[in-house]
Amino acid sequence: MSLDYVKSTPGFEKFMPKDYRDMIDHGPFGKKVSVSQVGTFKEILEEHPMCAGCAMTLFIRLSLIALPNPEDTIIVGTAGCGRLVLSQAAVPFVYGNYGDTNAVASGLKRGLMTRFPDKHKDVVVMAGDGGLADIGFSMMMHSWFRKEKFTTIMLDNEVYGNTGGQESGMTNIGSVLKMAPLGKKFEKIDMPELAKTAGCAYVAMVVPNNPKRVEQCIKKAILIAREVGPTYIQAYTSCNIEYAIPTDKVMEDAKNVENDRYQFKEYISEDAKQYLGEKWGYKEYARKAIQTAEVAK
Amino acid sequence: MYLVANIDPNICGATSCTLCTQFCPEANTIQYDKERKTAFVSVDRCKGCAQCVWVCDNMAKHHAIKMIMIDQLPEEFANKLTKNMSYEQENLKPSPINK
Repeated sequence: MSLDYVKSTPGFEKFMPKDYRDMIDHGPFGKKVSVSQVGTFKEILEEHPMCAGCAMTLFIRLSLIALPNPEDTIIVGTAGCGRLVLSQAAVPFVYGNYGDTNAVASGLKRGLMTRFPDKHKDVVVMAGDGGLADIGFSMMMHSWFRKEKFTTIMLDNEVYGNTGGQESGMTNIGSVLKMAPLGKKFEKIDMPELAKTAGCAYVAMVVPNNPKRVEQCIKKAILIAREVGPTYIQAYTSCNIEYAIPTDKVMEDAKNVENDRYQFKEYISEDAKQYLGEKWGYKEYARKAIQTAEVAK
Repeated sequence: MYLVANIDPNICGATSCTLCTQFCPEANTIQYDKERKTAFVSVDRCKGCAQCVWVCDNMAKHHAIKMIMIDQLPEEFANKLTKNMSYEQENLKPSPINK
């Protein structure tokens, strides 16, 4: 949990594996990296057992690159595909039981705020649609009602992909799946609206076919969660196995879904806008820009 | 034998858009060579999903990436393994201090 935690003991460097030495010398810890520099530095993520061409992996990879301070971040996850890749990253990963991710994150964040009152330690919950919208629903809603200061990221693949294709609350109405042969009978849960109503300071809906946009959303969400309030990001990360998408057509599917039902949406509360503009130098939220926009109206 | 992505350095070097490095789901698999100004694949990490091919053909419209059998890779095969990989980071600035 500091810049030193990846460094090896002096004198033992040459015995460490190459991946580890690369991480110390060329990793993103303590440096400012962006998606456009990918391929020139060692990423936090390592080789992982996810399926070839998985859009969820792409989103997780982009969000790990976008972390503003990876050395001060803890990720909380739960059962599902996401944990297979999150546990292969050089960021501390806490495996919550199914459903209690946001409760674990609440306790963790409060503990870290007590232990390190002079620093911000970011806690990020990254779990699937089943783990958050179905099984972890009450824990997630209550962490928002209590205004716990951490980021919740939903990896929405619209199915229980890891267990053979059961319908989840986030599956679209009418979808026929391997374990839901009659098709889903109810509407998809509108989580972004619920998050807004529950008091999240930042809510966004993204599709990983625009890496820069994913990066900006993650950065904003984590910075706002440091001081203003809870934040929520919902990302469409298709399951190419359960929805039978050929791996080379995954991005085409993401583009179609984005045009169809997953348009980019962003909600930022007024407090959060002010915080971003004053503390982190976001020009579009600076006081002058807001005043000129009001005058123009 | 299995398929891996192969980038044509001549076509890629002419534009160097770096889109494929951003869209690969595997970490540190499509790397960027600043000297030759081209992307290259560390073949031992490639799972052969061909997402980069779609991105190069349809988003960048350069048609520089093809899937080929691993035993038909052109020369420099040994240079493209992860253990021989080097990172070049000159432009990285220190991150804002977290207080």
